[in-house]
Amino acid sequence: MLKYTIKRLLGTIPMLILISIVVFSLAKLMPGDSLSGEIDPLNTNPEYIEEMREKLGYNEPLPVQYFNWITGFVQGDFGKSTKYKTDVFDIIMEKVPNTLLLGVISLIITYILAFAMGMYSGRRPYTIGDNAIAGINYIMLAIPSFVAAVVAIYFFSFHLNWFPFGGSVDILIEKGSFEYYISKLHHVLLPALVLGAMGTASYTQFLRNDIIDNSRKDFVRTARAKGTPIRKIYNVHILRNSIIPLVTFLGFDFAALIGGAIITETIFTYPGIGMLFLDSVTSRDYPTLMALTMLLSFLTLAGNLIADLLYGVVDPRIRLD
Amino acid sequence: MASSTTLSQQKKPERSLSPWQIARRKFLKNKLAMISSVFIILVTLLSIAAPLLAQYLSPLPDIAKVNIGSMNIPPNSEHILGTDKSGRDVLTRLFYGGRISLLVGFSATLMVIVLGTIVGSIAGFFGGLVDNILMRFTDLVLTFPFLVFVIVLNTILYGRVDGLWVLIIVIGVLSWGGVARLVRSKVLAEKENEYILAALSIGCSPFKVIAKHLLPNVASTIIVQATLIFASMIVVESALSYLGFGVPQATPSWGIMLSSANEPDVLQGKPWIWMPPAIVLTLTILSINFIGEGLKDALNPKSLR
Repeated sequence: MLKYTIKRLLGTIPMLILISIVVFSLAKLMPGDSLSGEIDPLNTNPEYIEEMREKLGYNEPLPVQYFNWITGFVQGDFGKSTKYKTDVFDIIMEKVPNTLLLGVISLIITYILAFAMGMYSGRRPYTIGDNAIAGINYIMLAIPSFVAAVVAIYFFSFHLNWFPFGGSVDILIEKGSFEYYISKLHHVLLPALVLGAMGTASYTQFLRNDIIDNSRKDFVRTARAKGTPIRKIYNVHILRNSIIPLVTFLGFDFAALIGGAIITETIFTYPGIGMLFLDSVTSRDYPTLMALTMLLSFLTLAGNLIADLLYGVVDPRIRLD
Repeated sequence: MASSTTLSQQKKPERSLSPWQIARRKFLKNKLAMISSVFIILVTLLSIAAPLLAQYLSPLPDIAKVNIGSMNIPPNSEHILGTDKSGRDVLTRLFYGGRISLLVGFSATLMVIVLGTIVGSIAGFFGGLVDNILMRFTDLVLTFPFLVFVIVLNTILYGRVDGLWVLIIVIGVLSWGGVARLVRSKVLAEKENEYILAALSIGCSPFKVIAKHLLPNVASTIIVQATLIFASMIVVESALSYLGFGVPQATPSWGIMLSSANEPDVLQGKPWIWMPPAIVLTLTILSINFIGEGLKDALNPKSLR
C-alpha cells in the first residue's frame, strides 16, 4: 500500500506543474492588463507606467514571469488583490471557513439522506416504498442545482420564512457569542441542503443495489440459519460490507462540491470561495483569480488522488497494477 | 400487429432479428422511455417552429423588443404565461429559449462525442506510447475543475468569437475526457477479438479497422453515453447562462430566462416569469435521462425485458 501511495503521489507532481502552466497562460491571455489595479489610474505619465511595469516584473520574458509567480505561489505569496488592495492569501483565508462549513454540512446531509433511503430501499426492494424512493432520486438527479436553489429560496425563505436567503451570518449579532454560531448554522443550512440533496441519488442507488446483492450471499444465509434477527443482519452484517465501496465516492464528491459551491454560493450570496471566484472574474481581479483557479484545481486533483487511494484500500487488486 | 407477424412467420421462416431490431422492439415497449421520447420530440418541434408559431401565441411576437406598455403582466387569456419585466411574452420566449438550449446542448454533445471517440479509439487501438501520451493528456483535461475553467476560458474568448459558439467550443473542449476513457476501455476489450486480427491480416489499414469494424461494435455504449451527456450539457448551458457566463444576455435561453429570478422582487412576487423555464428545463432533463436509461436497457443484450 505504501508503494502504491508513493507512486500515486509522485504521479500528481507533473500534473500540478502542467496545471500551473495552463493557469498562468490563461491569466496572460485574459483581456486587459493585470496591472490595472496596481497603478494609480489618475497618473497617465508613460514614464511612471513604465517604471511600475519594470518594478512589478511585467517586462521580464514570460518564462521568468512564470517562474517568479510559481515560486511566490509555493511560498504562500499569492500577490496582491487588485480589487481589495490586500494580500490575496488573506482574502481567501477569510472565505475558506465558510466554504468548508458549507461543504461539511452538505456532505453530512448527503450521507444521512442517502443512508436512510438506501437502507430502506435495499431491505424492501421492488415495493412501493422502494419505487417511490427511486422516483424521487430520478427527479433529484434531473433538477439542476441552480433551479433547486431558486425553488428552495422561493418556498423556504420567502413563503415559509424558515431560513434567511443570503449572507453567512446575521450582521447585527456580536461575533463569538452563542447566537453567532446558531445564526451561522441557520444561514448555512438551506444552501447545504440544496447542495447535499443533489448528491444523494447516486449514493442511494449504489447502497440499495449493494445491499440487495449482499443479502443473497452465503454469510447472510448462515446468519439467518443461526437465528440472528433480520434487523441485525441488515443493520450490522450487510451494512458493514456495503459501506466499504461507498468510501471511494468521497474523493469524487470533493470535485463535485467545488462546482456545486460556485453555483450555490452565488445564488444564496453566501460569502465563500465559489462566490469570491465569480466575483474575481467579473471584477478582473487577476491575482485572486489565478490563486483561486490554482487552489480549486489543486483540490480537484487532491480529490481524485483520495478516490484512487481509497480504491486501493478497498480493492487490493488495484494496488498491483 | 403482433398477430400479423406471427402469421407471416408461420408462412415462411424469416431471418432472425438483428441486434438493432431487438433493441428497437425493447425500446418501443418501454413506456417511460416512449413517453419521454414523445415529450422531447414535442419540445424540439415547438422550439424549431418558434418563429412560425410566435404570431399565434401572443399579441407580442417580437422577443427582442422591449414593450413598456405591457410589463410584468400575470398570466391571462392574452398572455398565457404572462410577460416579463421587459414586457416580452414568456411563452414565446420559452419556445425561443428551447432553440438555444437544445442547440447548445446538441452541438456540445456532438463535439464531446467526436473528440472523445477519436482520442479514445486511437489510444485503445494503437496502445503503447500513443496510448500513454493520449491518456495522460486526457487525465490532465479531467483534473481541471470543469466549471472554473469554463468560466475562465469563456471570459478570454468572449468577444473574439460569436457568443454562442464560444460556449459550445469551451464546454466541448473541456468535457471529452470521460468519453475518451470509456471508448478506450471498450476498444481495448473489443480489439482482442479474432475478427480484428482477420481484418488486419487481409491488409485493412488501421483506420479502416477502427472505423468499419471497431466503432460499430462500441456504438451502443457511445449512444447511451451521448444521451446522458446531452442532458448534462443542457444543464451546463443553463447554469452558466444563469450565472451570467453563458450565452450573451440578449439571447433567450432557459438559463437566461431563469436568471431573472436573481431579483428578489421577481423571485418572490412574479413566479410566472421564472417558473416555466424551470419546469420545462427539469422535465427535459428528466425525459432525456429516461430515454438514456431506456436505451441502455434496450441495447444491453443481457437484459430480458
